[in-house]
Amino acid sequence: MTGALRWACAFLLSGLAQQNIAAPLDEPIKPIPRWHTENGPRAELGRQLFNDKRLSANQSISCASCHLLDRGGADVRAFSLGLHGQATGFNAPSVLNAALNFRQFWNGRSATLEEQINDVLLSPVEMGANWTDVLARLSADRVYQQAFAANYSSGITQENVQNALATYERTLTTPKARFDLYLEGDSTAITEEEKAGYGRFKQYGCISCHQGINVGGNMFQRFGVMGDYFKDRTPITDADQGRFAVTGLEEDRHVFKVPGLRNVEHTAPYFHDGSAPTLDKAVEVMFKYQLGRRATDEDTRLIILFLKTLSGEVQVVP
Amino acid sequence: MSFLRRYLSWITIAGVAISLAGVLAFMFLRIDSYDPSRYFSSLALLRQIKQIDSQWEVQVLRSRIGINLDYDSLVDPLNELNKNWRQLEQLTQAAPLRNRDKWQHNTQLYQQALAKKAELIESFKSHNSVLRNSLHFLPTAEDDVQNLISDQRSSMVLDNTSSYVFDVLLGTMEFVQVSTDDKAAEVTIGLEKLEEQKAHLDPDTADALDIFNQHVHTVLREQKVVDGVLNAIAAVSVANRLDGLIELLSQEQLMSAEQDRLHHQYLLVFSGVLAALLLYLGVRLARSYGEINRVNRALHNANDELEARVVERTRELQRAQSELVGSARQAGMAEIATNVLHNVGNVLNSVNISADLVARKVRTSKSAGLSKAVAMLQEHQHDLGHFITQDEKGKLLPGYFAQVCEALNAERESITRELELLNKSVNHIKEIVTTQQSYAGPSSIVEPLMMAELMEDALRMQAGSLVRHQVEVIRDYGPIAELWLDKHRLLLILVNLISNAKQAMNAREGGPRTLTLSIREDGERLTIRVRDTGEGIDPQHMTRIFSHGFTTRAEGHGFGLHSCALAAIEMDGTLRVESEGVGSGACFVLEIPIKSKGQ
Repeated sequence: MTGALRWACAFLLSGLAQQNIAAPLDEPIKPIPRWHTENGPRAELGRQLFNDKRLSANQSISCASCHLLDRGGADVRAFSLGLHGQATGFNAPSVLNAALNFRQFWNGRSATLEEQINDVLLSPVEMGANWTDVLARLSADRVYQQAFAANYSSGITQENVQNALATYERTLTTPKARFDLYLEGDSTAITEEEKAGYGRFKQYGCISCHQGINVGGNMFQRFGVMGDYFKDRTPITDADQGRFAVTGLEEDRHVFKVPGLRNVEHTAPYFHDGSAPTLDKAVEVMFKYQLGRRATDEDTRLIILFLKTLSGEVQVVP
Repeated sequence: MSFLRRYLSWITIAGVAISLAGVLAFMFLRIDSYDPSRYFSSLALLRQIKQIDSQWEVQVLRSRIGINLDYDSLVDPLNELNKNWRQLEQLTQAAPLRNRDKWQHNTQLYQQALAKKAELIESFKSHNSVLRNSLHFLPTAEDDVQNLISDQRSSMVLDNTSSYVFDVLLGTMEFVQVSTDDKAAEVTIGLEKLEEQKAHLDPDTADALDIFNQHVHTVLREQKVVDGVLNAIAAVSVANRLDGLIELLSQEQLMSAEQDRLHHQYLLVFSGVLAALLLYLGVRLARSYGEINRVNRALHNANDELEARVVERTRELQRAQSELVGSARQAGMAEIATNVLHNVGNVLNSVNISADLVARKVRTSKSAGLSKAVAMLQEHQHDLGHFITQDEKGKLLPGYFAQVCEALNAERESITRELELLNKSVNHIKEIVTTQQSYAGPSSIVEPLMMAELMEDALRMQAGSLVRHQVEVIRDYGPIAELWLDKHRLLLILVNLISNAKQAMNAREGGPRTLTLSIREDGERLTIRVRDTGEGIDPQHMTRIFSHGFTTRAEGHGFGLHSCALAAIEMDGTLRVESEGVGSGACFVLEIPIKSKGQ
C-alpha cells in the first residue's frame, strides 16, 4: 500500500468516525438533498425579482415583503398586508422548501410555483398587478434586459419571469437540519430528548400527516378531524372554507394542505389563520382538534424540542 | 414554325420531367413521414405511464396496510405521470394521427380518469391518515382507560367497563381485518354499552373513555370511507384508458405501417415505370446513336472523297498555276525578248545608217580622180619633168594631188568615225543580248546586287523606246547597300513596270511624260516605286489590275502585271498600285523583305 493511499484511507476513516455515519434511517421523514440542481444565473435573476417591488401595482411591496427569509420564509404577522395595506386572507406560508410541497397555497389551488407566482401577482389584495405593466417596468430596466437576454432566448416575458422566480424558490430548500443529519445516520446529531420528542411525535400520530421530505406538505387534511375547530373559533371567513373554495365539494370544507414543519420554530404565528402565536399553542390545538387527545406538558415540550431540530440552512445561491 | 414546334416539345418534356419529379417527391415525403420510432417511443411512454399508474396503486395499498410511512410516494407518481404525459403529447402532436378525434376523445377520458383518481387518492391520504392515527392510538387509549380503572378500587361497574373496553378494542381490531357490517354492529353495541357505563364512572375515567370511544368511532367511520375510496380508486379505469390509448396507437402504427408498405409498393411500381422509361430512352438513344454513327460515317466518307477531290483539284490547279506561271514567265520572257529585239533593232538602225554612210563615202571616194592623174603621169613617163613643169595639164597635177590628199584624209576620218559608231552599236547589241541571256534563267537565285545598277539595266533594255517616246526619267535612288535579291524576278518586274508606265504615258496624248523611279530601303524591306504621269487607273479596275488576263490595251495580253505580282509574291514581297483615278497617273509600289546573306 502506498503512503498516499494509506493517508487517504486514514482520512476517510477519521471522517466516518467524526460524522458517526451509519446507514440512513428508514423513517417516515426523509432528509432534504444537500444540493439542488437549479440553474444558478436564473436563480440569481429570480432572487432580484423576489426582492423587487416593481412586481406590485403601486411598487410598494415585493415577494420578500411578506416572505422574510430570516424569519423562516414567512411573515411575522398573522395576516400580511397587501399593496393597499389590506390584510390577506391567509397567514403567509413559508417560501422555504415550498418547492417540496405537492401543491401551493393553504388550499392547494396552485399545482406549481409558477402558478402560485401568477396568483399572488394578480391578486388584488396582495400585489394587485398585471403582467403588461410589470413586464413594461422590468423591460425599462437595462440590468433586467441584459440578465434576461443572457438567460432566456425570448427575453423578458411572463413565462420567463415566473420561471426565474420559481427557479429561485426551488433553490430555497433548507438541507442539513440536525434531524436530517440524524436521518442520514449521524446518531449524535440530535439529543436523547429530541429523539424522545420524535418518538412522541410518531406515537401520538402527528406523523400520520406530517411525514415525507417536507414533514407535511404532501396531502390535504381536514382542520378539526377529532373536534370542530371552527365552532370554537368564530367568525368563519372565506379562507376558513379551505379546499372547498377550490373544489366546491362538501367533503373538502375546512380541508387544508398539511403544512410542512421544517423551520417551524421560525414561522410563528401558526395555522392558516395565524391564530397560534407560539409552538406550544399550535401543538395544543393540533392535539385537541386533529389527534383527539390531550397532551401532557412533557409531551409538548419534547415534541417542540424535536420540531426545533427541523430547522436547516438556506443554501447560498451559487 | 419549326422553332415553335421545338419550343412546344421542350415545354412538354419539361412538364413530364416536373410531373415525374413531383410524383417521386410526393412518394418520398409520404414514405418519409412515416416514422415508426415516434410510434414506438409513444407506445413506450404509454406503457411507462401505465406502469407508473399501477405502481401508484401499489403505493396506495402499501399506505393502506401501513408499509408506506410517508405520502411522498403517493405524490411523486402523479408528477411522473404528468411529466411523461407531456412528453407523449409533444410526440403525438408531431405525429400524423389518422384518427385524431378518437385519440383526443380517449386522452380526454384518460385525463378525466386520472383527475378522478388523483382526487380519490388525495381523499384516501386524508382519511387513511386519520384512520391510521386512530388505529395506532387505540391501544394507547385503551391502556389509558384500563390504567385509570386499575388505579381505582375494583367494582362491578369498573370491571364491566374494563371488559367492554377490551371487547370493543378487540372487536374494532377484528373489524379492521374483516370490515363486515356485523362486526361494525357488534362494536357499536359495545360502544353503546360503554356510553351507559360512562354515567357511573369518575370524570377522569369518563374522559379517557370518551377519547377511546371517539377514536373507535373514527376507526369505524374512516375504515368504511377508506375502503370505499379504495374501491373507487380500483374502479377508476386509468389503466383501461391507457390500454385504449395503447391499442389506438398500435392501430395507428399498424395502419401507418400498412400505408407505408403500400407507398413502398407504389414507389416500386413507379420505379419500375421509371426504369422502363429509362430503358426505352436508352434504346432510343442507342438507336439514334447508331444512326448518328452511320450518318457520321457517310459524312466522313463523303468528306474523304471530297478531300481527295479537293486534293486532285488542288493538284490540277497547282499544275494549271505552274503552267500559268510558266507561260507567264514565257510571256514575260517573250516580252523581254521583244524589248531586247526592239532595242537591238534600234541599235541595228544606227548600225545600218553608219554602214550606209561608210558605203556612200567609199563609193564617192576621191580615189577615182587620183587614178586618172596617175594614168596621166604614166603617159608622160619619159618626159615627166617636162610634163610637170611645162605641160598645161601637168602643171596642175601637184595642186591636184594636194587636194586629193586632203579630201582622202577627210574621208578617212569620217569613215573611221562612222566605224567607231558602228563598233559601239554592235557592242551595245552584244551587251543587250548578253544581259538578256544572263537573266533568262528560270531558277530563283538570290545573289548580291546593287539595286541602282539593276534599275539601270532595266532602263537600258527600254532605253530606245523611252528615248523614242520622249520619256523623261527621274532617278530618285536612296542610299542602297548591296542586297541579296532574286535578280531575274526583280528585273522582270522592273522591265514590266517601266514598259507598263511607258505604254500608259504613250496612251495619253500631251502632258509631261515623266517616269520617276524611287528606291528606298529601311533595313527590313526594300521599297521600289515606279511612278508615271500616264492615263492612270479607273478606280473600278484597281482590284482587278493584277488579275490574270486583265488588260485595258488592245494589244495587251494581261500577263505583265499578273506575272509581276506572282513574282513579287514568290519573293515574299507585295506589289500594289496607287492611283487617284483616270488621268492622274499611277504609282506601282514593290515591297520586298530584305534577306540577309545566305537566306
